[in-house]
Amino acid sequence: MKTTASFLLLWISTLLTGASLSAQSANELRFSIHSFPKTFDPVLVDDDASETIRYLTGGVLIRINRESQRLEPELATGWKLSRDGRTITFTLRDGLRFSDGTGFGVADVAYTMNHLMDADLHSPTGDAFRVGEGKIAVKVLTANQVAITFPAAVVGLERLFDQVAIMSQSSPRKEMAVLGPYMVDEAKPGAVIVLKRNPNYWKVDSAGHHLPYISAIRLDVQPNRDLELIRFLRGEIHFINSLDAEYFEKVKAENPAAARNAGTSLDSEQMWFNQVPTAPLPAYKKIWFGSKSFRRAVSEAINRNDLARVVFRGHAQPAIGPFSPANQFWFNTALRPHPYDPTSARARLAAEGFYWRDGALYDSSGNRVEFSVVTNAGNRYREQMATLIQQDLSDVGIKLNVVTLDFPSLIERITRSFNYEACLLGLVNVDLDPNSEMNVWLSSAENHQWNPRQTSPATDWEADIDRLMRAQASSLDDRRRKQLFDQVQAIVWDQEPFLYLVNKDALAAIRPELHNVQPVVFRPQVYWNIEWLTLNAVVATRQ
Amino acid sequence: MANARRWLTKTLLGMLLTTLIGGFAGAMLVRFAPGYGVDERELDVRLSTKTITAIRRENAQQHNLALFYMHYLAATMHGDLGYSMALGRPVRELLSERLPETLTTVGVGLGFAWSLGLGLATAVVLSRDSSIDALASILAGILLCLPTAILALWFFLAHASTRLALGVIVFPKIFRYSRNFLLEARSESYVIAARAKGLSEIHIFLGHILPACAARLVSLGAVSVSLALSAAIPVEVICGLPGIGQLAWQAAMARDLCLLVNLTMVITAITVVVNSAPELLKKGACA
Repeated sequence: MKTTASFLLLWISTLLTGASLSAQSANELRFSIHSFPKTFDPVLVDDDASETIRYLTGGVLIRINRESQRLEPELATGWKLSRDGRTITFTLRDGLRFSDGTGFGVADVAYTMNHLMDADLHSPTGDAFRVGEGKIAVKVLTANQVAITFPAAVVGLERLFDQVAIMSQSSPRKEMAVLGPYMVDEAKPGAVIVLKRNPNYWKVDSAGHHLPYISAIRLDVQPNRDLELIRFLRGEIHFINSLDAEYFEKVKAENPAAARNAGTSLDSEQMWFNQVPTAPLPAYKKIWFGSKSFRRAVSEAINRNDLARVVFRGHAQPAIGPFSPANQFWFNTALRPHPYDPTSARARLAAEGFYWRDGALYDSSGNRVEFSVVTNAGNRYREQMATLIQQDLSDVGIKLNVVTLDFPSLIERITRSFNYEACLLGLVNVDLDPNSEMNVWLSSAENHQWNPRQTSPATDWEADIDRLMRAQASSLDDRRRKQLFDQVQAIVWDQEPFLYLVNKDALAAIRPELHNVQPVVFRPQVYWNIEWLTLNAVVATRQ
Repeated sequence: MANARRWLTKTLLGMLLTTLIGGFAGAMLVRFAPGYGVDERELDVRLSTKTITAIRRENAQQHNLALFYMHYLAATMHGDLGYSMALGRPVRELLSERLPETLTTVGVGLGFAWSLGLGLATAVVLSRDSSIDALASILAGILLCLPTAILALWFFLAHASTRLALGVIVFPKIFRYSRNFLLEARSESYVIAARAKGLSEIHIFLGHILPACAARLVSLGAVSVSLALSAAIPVEVICGLPGIGQLAWQAAMARDLCLLVNLTMVITAITVVVNSAPELLKKGACA
C-alpha cells in the first residue's frame, strides 16, 4: 500500500513539474505571438503573426527605418524613380544568397513582383501597388539592374517596397528560402515556431562580425495576454511588443526598468455615427447623426483627457485626427484636440432646436435623445471608454446605451445590415502614407465606415475629401501632397465623421538581459532592429 | 450469432447517423449565428474593393446549408475534409496536427482524474474511516464548485502541467460516483458474509466489491471521456494548448463553417463510440 502511494505521489509530482521545464538556449530570443501564422508566403501575409515572420525572415529591397522613418537601402544598393512616377529602377547588391544557398539576382525580383501582382491571389501587399488598369512590366536591364513599370503613377512607391520580401525564383524550398536575418527552422502548428540565424545573411557589423547577433528566436503561440504577461514576469520570454496600459503598470511596479514607453503611437480609438441612408434606424435619429452640430456637440461633451487618464492610466493622448503626431511628416500640426466643453456642447444643441426637460435632452420633434454604441466584446478598454462616454453624455442629457458584440457580429452590423447607431472601434495604422487610407476616405470606399459605398458623395464636404484625396494620390510632389492632406485633416476635424478619442502610447515590456533595444512607435516596435539585438552584454558594448 | 451481427450493424448505423446529425446540427448553428459569412479582413484598409468583393464572394459560397453539407459529405467520401477559411489550411491537416495534442491532454487528464478519484474512493471504502471520507468529499466539493478557467489558470501559475487541470476538473465526478458505487457494494449481504468468514479487506475489495461495480465503473469511464473532451476546450484556450479544443474556439469565433462541422463530427463520433463501448463490450462478452 505504501509502495503504491509513493509511486502515485512520484507520478503526480513528475506530471506537475515535468512539463513546465524546457531546455532554453543562452543565445535564444523568446517572445510570444498571439496566433499561429496563416501563411509563410510573404505575398499572402494578412495577419500579425505572418507579418512577424515576414519581418524576421524576409529580405527587402528598401527598408523604412522605424526610428527615423526614412528609407534605407537593403538588397538594393540604390533606386531611381522615373519622372512620371510609373517606373522604379533598382540596382541590386552583388553576391547575395538565399538561406538555402541559391543565388539572388534580378530574376528573383521579377518573379516576386509578378507573384505579388497576381490578381487571383488578392495579396494585401500587392493591393497597395494596384493603380489603374493594366499589368506591371518588369524589365531586366543588366545583371544587377531591374526596372518595374506600373500602369499608372504610384505615390509613395518606394515606401511600399518595405513590405515586399523577395522570393527565390529557382529554389526548391520556395518561400522557405529567405534573404532576411532569420529562417524558419521548426514550426509546430498552433504551438511554436523556431527561427535560426540565416547563415547567408549579408550584413556585418563595424568589426566584421556577421549579423544577427542572436542565433535563434523562439516564438511561442500564446493567444492569452494574461499568460503572456505572467511568462514575461517569470523571465520565460524576453519582451512583449505591444502592452496594454494596465499590464504596463504591473510591469512597472515589479521592474521599472523593464517598462518602456516609446511615446504616442500611430493607432487611434474612435467613435462614429451611422449615416447610412438605408440603415434600419428611425428617421429622426438619421437627422441627428447627419448633423454636424450634433456630432460636434457629442464630441465636445466627451472628456478625452479623462479617457486617457482613467482608462489608459495616463498612457494615451487626446486624439486629433486620422494621423497622430507620431506621424512626423503627414500630421497636420495646425490642429488641436477638440476641447472638453459641455457648455459649448449645450449651446450647439440648443441652436439646433434641442431642448431639456427634467435634465433629459429632446429634439425639436420631442424625441428623447438616446442612442446605443456598439463595440467589440472582451476589449475592456473600449468597454471602459464607452462607460465613461456614457457618463459624460448624461451630463448633457443624452442617454447612451453600451452594447458589446463579438467581432463577427459587429462586422456584420457595420458592413452589411447597418443595424447600429454608433460604433466605437480602433484603427491600426500600418503605413505612414495617407495613400494607404484611400479605402477610408473616398466616399465610394468599403471602409468609409459612417456611410460606405456611396455612388456619389452624400455631402459637399465628402466630395471635397474625395477631390483632395484623389489629387494627393496623383501628385508626386510630397510637399504638395502634404498640403492637400492637411486640408483633408482639417475637414475631418471640422465635420467629425469620426470622433477621434485617444491615441494610445506604444508600450512595451523588455527584460534587462536584452540589449540594443530602441523601442519605437512604428511596428514592429521592439524588434525593428532585430539584427542588432543581443543577449550578450559584451557584444552590446561593441555598438 | 446472426442476432448479434444484426445488433452490431444496427448499433454501428445508429452511431453513424448520430455523427451525421451532430455534424449537420453544428453546421446549422454556425450558419445561422450572427456574423456568419463576414471576414475580419474586410476592415483591412489596405485591401482594394476588388479584393474585399472576392473575399465576400468566397464566403458566400457556403451560404446554402443543405448544398454545403451535401458537397461536404461527398468530398468526405474521397478523403477531402474541406478547407478552413479562417486558418487558410486544409481541415485534414489541421485535425491531424491538433488531434494528438487533445488526445494526450485528455489521456493524461483522465489518468490523473481516475488515479485520484478511484484511489480516494478505494481509500474511503478500505479504511472505513469517516474522516478520510469527509476530507475527500470536501476536496471534491470544492473542486466541483471552482470554474474550469480558474483551475486552468491556477495550474499555469503554479508551474504545473496544465494537462492536469483537466484531471482536476473531472476528478470530483469520478470520485463521487465511484465512492457511491463502492460503498453500495460494500453494504451488500454477500460482502458482509465474506467479512464474517474472516476474508481480508483487500480480498473482499478485489474479489467481491470491485467486480460488483465493474459494469457501472466502465459506464462512468465512458461518461468521463465526454466530460474530459468538453473540459478540454476551455483548458486548451486558457492555457494555450494547441489541440482541437483551441481550434474549436478559433473556428467558432471566426464562424468557420467547414472546420466547425468537422470538429463537431469528430467530437460526436468519439462521444458516441465511447458511450457505446460498454454496451459493445457487454454484448461481446455474452456472445
